Amino acid sequence: MAKVEAGMEGMVDMYLFETTTLIDQLDEILLRTEQANEFTDDDINEVFRIMHTVKGSSAMMGFENLQKLAHKGEDMFFIIREDPSKMKDIGFVYDLVFQMSDLFKAEIEEIRSNPDYEGTDFSEMIAKLENGAKMLQGELDEAEAAEGGEQSAAAKSGGIEAANENQSVIRVYFEQDCKMENLRAFLLLNRLKESFDVIDWFPKDVENNAESSGIIQEDGFLVTLNKADVDEALKVVEQSVNVDTYEIVTDEKEEEGAAPQQEAAEQPAQPANTAQAAAKAEKPAEVKPAPAETKKEAAPVKKEAPAPAKKPERAPSQQVSSNSGKQSLISVNLQKLDQLHDIVGEIITTESMVISNPELEGLKLESFQKAARELRKLTDELQDSVMSIRMVPLVGPFQKMHRIVRDMKQKLGKNVELVIEGEDTEVDKSIVDNLNDPLMHLVRNCMDHGIEEDVNERIAHGKPDKGTIKLSATSSAGEVIITVADDGGGIDTDRVLQKAEDAGLLTKPASEYSEREINNMIMLPGFSTNTEVTEYSGRGVGMDVVKKNIEKSGGSIFVESKRYEGSTFIIKIPLTLAIIAGMEVRVGDVIFTVPTSAIKQSFKITNNQIIYDTQGNEMIMLRGECYPILKLYQKYNLETDTTDFEQGILILVEADGKKVCLFADKLIGEQQVVVKPFPSYLSRYNLKAEGLSGCSIMGDGSISLIIDINNVIDKQ
Amino acid sequence: MADINKVSEQQQELNEKINKAAKSSGTEIAKALTFIIDDRIYGVDISYVNEIVGVPHITVIPGIPYYIKGVINVRSKVIPIIDVRARFDLPEKEHDDKTSTIIITYMDIQVGIIVDQVQEVLSVKAENKADIPALERVNNNKFIEYILETNDSIKMILDVKKLIFDDDFDIEAVAAE
Repeated sequence: MAKVEAGMEGMVDMYLFETTTLIDQLDEILLRTEQANEFTDDDINEVFRIMHTVKGSSAMMGFENLQKLAHKGEDMFFIIREDPSKMKDIGFVYDLVFQMSDLFKAEIEEIRSNPDYEGTDFSEMIAKLENGAKMLQGELDEAEAAEGGEQSAAAKSGGIEAANENQSVIRVYFEQDCKMENLRAFLLLNRLKESFDVIDWFPKDVENNAESSGIIQEDGFLVTLNKADVDEALKVVEQSVNVDTYEIVTDEKEEEGAAPQQEAAEQPAQPANTAQAAAKAEKPAEVKPAPAETKKEAAPVKKEAPAPAKKPERAPSQQVSSNSGKQSLISVNLQKLDQLHDIVGEIITTESMVISNPELEGLKLESFQKAARELRKLTDELQDSVMSIRMVPLVGPFQKMHRIVRDMKQKLGKNVELVIEGEDTEVDKSIVDNLNDPLMHLVRNCMDHGIEEDVNERIAHGKPDKGTIKLSATSSAGEVIITVADDGGGIDTDRVLQKAEDAGLLTKPASEYSEREINNMIMLPGFSTNTEVTEYSGRGVGMDVVKKNIEKSGGSIFVESKRYEGSTFIIKIPLTLAIIAGMEVRVGDVIFTVPTSAIKQSFKITNNQIIYDTQGNEMIMLRGECYPILKLYQKYNLETDTTDFEQGILILVEADGKKVCLFADKLIGEQQVVVKPFPSYLSRYNLKAEGLSGCSIMGDGSISLIIDINNVIDKQ
Repeated sequence: MADINKVSEQQQELNEKINKAAKSSGTEIAKALTFIIDDRIYGVDISYVNEIVGVPHITVIPGIPYYIKGVINVRSKVIPIIDVRARFDLPEKEHDDKTSTIIITYMDIQVGIIVDQVQEVLSVKAENKADIPALERVNNNKFIEYILETNDSIKMILDVKKLIFDDDFDIEAVAAE
């Protein structure tokens, strides 16, 4: 992480997070408006606000280059805001702003990762933006330009007056030592703007001029509102954090006389005349706050010219989530959550250790059992809440795909629409992080290889000329299913098979491969059907990496495809990595955990129910369906006395619509288990292919192996 | 299941020595923990050794080489176990109360090695350290790093890396995980 001024370290994370969120929002708006070819006033205001906020917070953190960059962007949108009609059909604005947002993202990453961070020079981009602003302005006719200038001049004259009888001025003081008064005032201002018509405020430049802190400390933050709103507004003020006192000043003259006394009473430490002088000051720049009061001296904020005049506007409601002074949201270091998560895991293990302690066996312990049940209920709740804390919606990774589609659409000259569904589906944070790359790869792949190069080809197969890529997510029984589907050409199975043969990837005669198997060959290491390397995909390290990444999150991926109709990548990932409900079964000395979600039923059978096929494989008929039997002791080569079907137990499991009966010695019981990955030392042996997804420490301290039903069935 | 807390007095004593032996002093260039396998004395550099435990219940894992016996649970950590006898292609021996597991960490990778009996912590001094003849390296002694001669006997100090990993093992990639 980059070095920042002392006292600001804790803020960097927050800044990075907020700025990233804002830039993402910016991208989203631009994409949406570009697609709809309509830029509403709200959108313009929103973009303007984003730039403005980024500018302000960058200034606060001392990232001057970012501040300047955002400033130029803001300038450009200022012009657009003055005359929204200019926004019609101006492609270059989009390109400029996208370039800017890319620079922002790169710089944020740099700040995050580089301890010796030095601001990148953005003068080139700044010049571009300035040009863009000029081009926009060049189209403004002179009368309008003059009008705009007048407006801002009027607003800049500063100070504050309750212009007529219908208006009131509220004066707000913040708690002493709360620091960054200017930003607190800004937050308050935004809150007020949400609900009321804010007519004026002073100091004007609270958002990006840290020196206004001094003024606010001394003579309070002044807001002019309509009289009718005042009572309600005061409630908002009252609820805001760090607000010390507030008062209503109905008349400017009265204020001048009354204020010093009130101030003296409320904050005896403050020299009244300084405050008064400041209140009258025309421009903040002329105010020299008493040195003792300027707590922000150390802050690396460069003073800049007052912000462009800002007409009172209703801030969009999103503001609340990112900027609200009310602390209904906090951001927590993920590491701390991981720790909490680990502890909960240990508690669950220990709980089982206590409750099913072998020393208790055979004892009649009524009240103990009752207390144990109670404890179990509470730990379940604890686990659920910890899990829910870590759950985040898929919106982030999904929205990013818009951008990728947009860029590639232009470069590849393909007309494609991205449709997103179920982006509010929630998954564990760590899984979301691991999903970004695979999703990006899949979407690129669909764009590059999926959607046909030639529109006529699409039309010939009865498809609309505009291609569609559909990204959707749904959750079901402990897992999330994410699909990336395109309506392109589908997978050319002949070509894939040929290619796999050439690459020596076939393990059986080509004619024995099913269509499904061939389709999934594209995810074998070292396989790439595109003969040419493009900018986006086709370096031969594509799909196998995607597959590996997804398997790392404990998920699975497969592809379904129909020639000329399109292909669909289906990703299944567990909702959370760490804790699953499992059935413990014993085979010889070894204990396996079968995920409860996969179990259909377990049952005893008699030998005469067994059916043998011609190879002597055992099967069983159940309600008119025939299921193969998989003997765990045989599969894993374990020694056991229980080889007779009548002595053991059968467990019917299902994955991907395929069912199989597992044969084990006996059921031990159901338990919540904390999934631990196998030690890294063993990662070179493909245990996943053996049908084992991890291990888990049980109540008595022994280790159970968790069966991966998917792989067990596939490898059968 | 066996109790990992059931550590014999000798194991306990050695554990204390291991904890103290973080730094070598004087003419000593290293310390080694010695153990016995098939009546021969071997050793490992103590800087790799975390602790000595008994032999807890080993959970067999299918599909891994014969010398990796499975995994054990040491204080909620799942640690893979290598049987040194199997690694040396010696016949297996029934575990008894002297059988010990030495927990070793190499480049953040933790494994346990099963030995017949742990012996003592020794100082390694330059004068009693001898390189093994190059010829022997080619032979079956591929695990030995050097020979330690003390007044009464000869100890073969093992190369931990070679003991734990096969030549094709990409340690850095695994440790990075």
